[in-house]
Amino acid sequence: MASSKVSVSQKKSGFKRLEPYLFLAPIILFAVAFVYYPFFKTFLYSFSKVNVSGEITGFAGFENFAYLFGHRNFKKALFNTLKLTVMFVPLNLCFSMGCALLANKKRKLSSVYETMFTLPMAVPMSAVAMIFKILLSPTVGYVNYFLGINLGWFEDRKYAMFGILIVCLWMGMAFDFLLFLSALRGLPESVVEAAQLDGAGFFTRLFKVQIPLVMPTILYVVCTNLVLAMMTSGPVMIITEGGPSRSTTTLIYMMFTSGYQSSDYSLAACISIVTFALTFGMTALAFWFDSKRDDYS
Amino acid sequence: MRNKKERAISIIVTIIAVALGCLIILPVVYCIFGAFKARVEFGNYPPTFLPESFANLDNFKEALEKTPLLRFMMNSFIVSLMGTVARMAFAVLAAYAFAFFDFRGKTVLFFVILATMMLPGDTLTITNYLTVSRLNLLDTYLGMCITSFVGASQMFMLRQNFKTIPRELRDAAFMDGCGHLRFLWSVVLPIGKPVLMTLSVQSFINLWNAYLWPLLVTNREEMRTVQVGITMLTSVTGTNYHLILAAVTLTLIPSFILFVILRRNIVKGMTAGAIVG
Amino acid sequence: MKKRNLLACILVLAMTAALFAGCGSKEEEKGPEKTDDGKTEESEEAAGPQTIVLWHSMSDDAGKVMDELVKDFNEGVGKEKQITVESVYQGAYADSSKKLRTVLQSKQYDELPDVIQVDATGIVDFQNAEQAYTVDDALKDDKDYDLSQIMSAPLKNWNFNDVQVGMPFPASTTVMYYNKTILDDAKIAEAPTTFAEITDVASKLPEKNADGADLVAYAQIPNTPTLANWIGQIPGKDADASYVVDNMNGRKGTATQLVCDEDGTLATFLTEWKKMYDAGAVANNGSGLSDMFFAGQLVFYTTSTSNLNTLLTTIDGKFELGCTYYPRVNDDANYGATVSGASLCMFKKDDAKAKAAWEFVKYVCSAEAQAKLSMGTGYFAVNTGANDLQEYQAFLEEHPQFKVGIDQLEKTSGDMVGVTVGPSQDFYMAIQDVVTEMLESNMSVDDAVEEMSATLNDLLEQYNRTNN
Repeated sequence: MASSKVSVSQKKSGFKRLEPYLFLAPIILFAVAFVYYPFFKTFLYSFSKVNVSGEITGFAGFENFAYLFGHRNFKKALFNTLKLTVMFVPLNLCFSMGCALLANKKRKLSSVYETMFTLPMAVPMSAVAMIFKILLSPTVGYVNYFLGINLGWFEDRKYAMFGILIVCLWMGMAFDFLLFLSALRGLPESVVEAAQLDGAGFFTRLFKVQIPLVMPTILYVVCTNLVLAMMTSGPVMIITEGGPSRSTTTLIYMMFTSGYQSSDYSLAACISIVTFALTFGMTALAFWFDSKRDDYS
Repeated sequence: MRNKKERAISIIVTIIAVALGCLIILPVVYCIFGAFKARVEFGNYPPTFLPESFANLDNFKEALEKTPLLRFMMNSFIVSLMGTVARMAFAVLAAYAFAFFDFRGKTVLFFVILATMMLPGDTLTITNYLTVSRLNLLDTYLGMCITSFVGASQMFMLRQNFKTIPRELRDAAFMDGCGHLRFLWSVVLPIGKPVLMTLSVQSFINLWNAYLWPLLVTNREEMRTVQVGITMLTSVTGTNYHLILAAVTLTLIPSFILFVILRRNIVKGMTAGAIVG
Repeated sequence: MKKRNLLACILVLAMTAALFAGCGSKEEEKGPEKTDDGKTEESEEAAGPQTIVLWHSMSDDAGKVMDELVKDFNEGVGKEKQITVESVYQGAYADSSKKLRTVLQSKQYDELPDVIQVDATGIVDFQNAEQAYTVDDALKDDKDYDLSQIMSAPLKNWNFNDVQVGMPFPASTTVMYYNKTILDDAKIAEAPTTFAEITDVASKLPEKNADGADLVAYAQIPNTPTLANWIGQIPGKDADASYVVDNMNGRKGTATQLVCDEDGTLATFLTEWKKMYDAGAVANNGSGLSDMFFAGQLVFYTTSTSNLNTLLTTIDGKFELGCTYYPRVNDDANYGATVSGASLCMFKKDDAKAKAAWEFVKYVCSAEAQAKLSMGTGYFAVNTGANDLQEYQAFLEEHPQFKVGIDQLEKTSGDMVGVTVGPSQDFYMAIQDVVTEMLESNMSVDDAVEEMSATLNDLLEQYNRTNN
């Protein structure tokens, strides 16, 4: 079988060899035109002196990066971003997976709570941020009053990042829940039932059967959430503006304030390259783990 | 015995799920209720959850009077739809290539596309503005969405999904003389429909949320999107919650409608997928 | 089989091509439109109907007034002089500045507006643009206009290196609003005017308000504009005001370093501020203050006069709104606060358009237009002629709160100006960081001064390193 395949592929005409590339052509074309081509300029900026009008005035070598790494806010922003990522990725995974397991089996009210779980998906980010800002406000918000606490969700520097985390989780879980639900329900009945007949308990079934089988979805969820968390800036911009005391300043938000709003374009370019490198590295790591697992099984 | 226990578990799970669900939708409910509150109600102590009256439609009226919100919603709808269709089409083709072809540079190209989602959009705006301006696309719907045609995350998810389609299915189809596009259209897409739908809605809402880019490439008020409309209602103190929540509630309507349609399709798609698989 | 695959590829290609064809056809559509414009422009060179574009950032109530002013102009002066203004809301000032910056940096000068409303951040981008048509340029072309009808303080706010860059529109200043009902209940007759007096009043206030919620006397985290005010109130050696950074707060040239750290004014301010904080009179809180004030949980609230209309409508008679001068650092300091707001700046695309733009700017700075703006928002009328309008006089009498800002402005030293620095956002946040650190981690005032001078000088240095 394998040898016959090789011989077929050897016979492939030039056109046939080109075929996959034609499928990829549109997306690559747009990626180059609207992502890589503009990013090239950013790349240039990071090694150049750039003035307030965005013109390159000289070569800077690694000077910009050196300045960034020595910047007193960079460490804080990096720490904040990693903190958010480390909390967000596993929590979101557990939460959305948990909800999916809870809703997996069809019950009478299934459609009711499934809808509830997925509803956050329909709310755009800016709306979410505004709603939470009002809902969690210590003055006009309802949550603090209802719980009888006086907590500055976004005002106290000890909790502000958790406030942002809550917003991110709320926004992120619905979509992932849906993916997990469709993955779990898509599992062949026979496999799950066989495990059940073997007398496997809930957890054995979960770790031995269900999780390995939905691994492709898990890889996707982990990777996209890594990127999402590393690139968080929207809620920060609308709700806390990086404060209080920069406790919620993420890398991308720092790029926005210390870079663009302060007309330091080379600094902004450096931050975006550092963020990219970190995110890409983490994603690649996730893929590497996944490939290891593939080899093993 | 066993049946009784199962039923008990079922009831408990249902209760937990519904309670959790209520907690999750709380912010949305709060937003909708807030849209009916009068301005002074936000200054009440203790803060209230329910509005004094649901018959108070003044906020909606005022929001619609102060901004051409409906026109903005139409613009957003067109832009989001165009962007989503193009994005999904490109993503499906690419995902298919990655899932069903073996070719040189496969891994590299995959990461090249995937990496587009890790490059902060803010760093790209000025050059993209120049490109769009040179293409004469300023003030056009196409210009407003052309930069979001690359859906790396959608491509990634579809690839994951397509990869679970059994190889035998493909081999059988090819034996019957089925070409790649035909196979994609008549076998892969129906199986992937639930995911395709989910991704489409996610993508639509993502584009519906766009603020800065549409603002940059449009100069006429008739071309503005909903998010601009909401900032038009922000007062200097930023505290006119009644208007903002009314506007947000209005802008949620289209995505909710879409969402309801999607939900039905997912259920249908899932059973269909099960039969094929 | 081959045929099918060929078909597949053709389809894929066709889809891509269609997209670009779409672009192409749009281009064609737009093509003739452009040439049309060109032709008409040429023929109109002498005189003829002009359409100019205005980008503004006035939202909500202020946005309504803006629309009315544009309408009035188009139907009145504009009709007479054959000028039509197309006004476009461009998002908040930050968004509008970003758009301006994008257009300038990508050199798409055709997309520039004729008139743009910018704030203190956007003016930096405007000044660097070659197409900028400053008020001084306009005055050279229009010798009849008398600039002295505009109040000097707001004018000076948009004067850089002795060039009048833009016209103030709208102009506001910072005052202190207070909850008079709470003060009355605590039997306090006089509103405080200095930090020490605020501390004194705070000690006489109850811990909880009538609703049972915690009551805060005053709340603020000092930032660039507030620091400019409090440092500026202190009389200096050569001027009647002191400055945060050199070159007169960046007015006479690019700021290169901090000066308030060396002349002791920063230490004076921080000492007084810390005293007030330690006495529990001021909370180190910068967000949600308006909510707290509306809910009767904050007694003193320093904010822009432009908020007045919103304050009145939101409070809606729940308590009596008092308004007084911006508080002073100590008894030696002058009264006063700098002017804030935005300015209208013009771009010159051709002579006729620039002339039309100037006509519009003159109109919105006229006594009538300014009075209308003031009554609808709380911004003050920058045209001194407004005071002669009966309608405006009656209005001020009826709403004395609107007058406080104007009176305060008369007392404000002419030497006092806001801070203009390149890295504006970082500068703003760095000040807040150090003050917070001083208050919450019990840092000494001297250490705080040292920390602030290190951080802020570092920012200025980095900016000048890349820009000179």
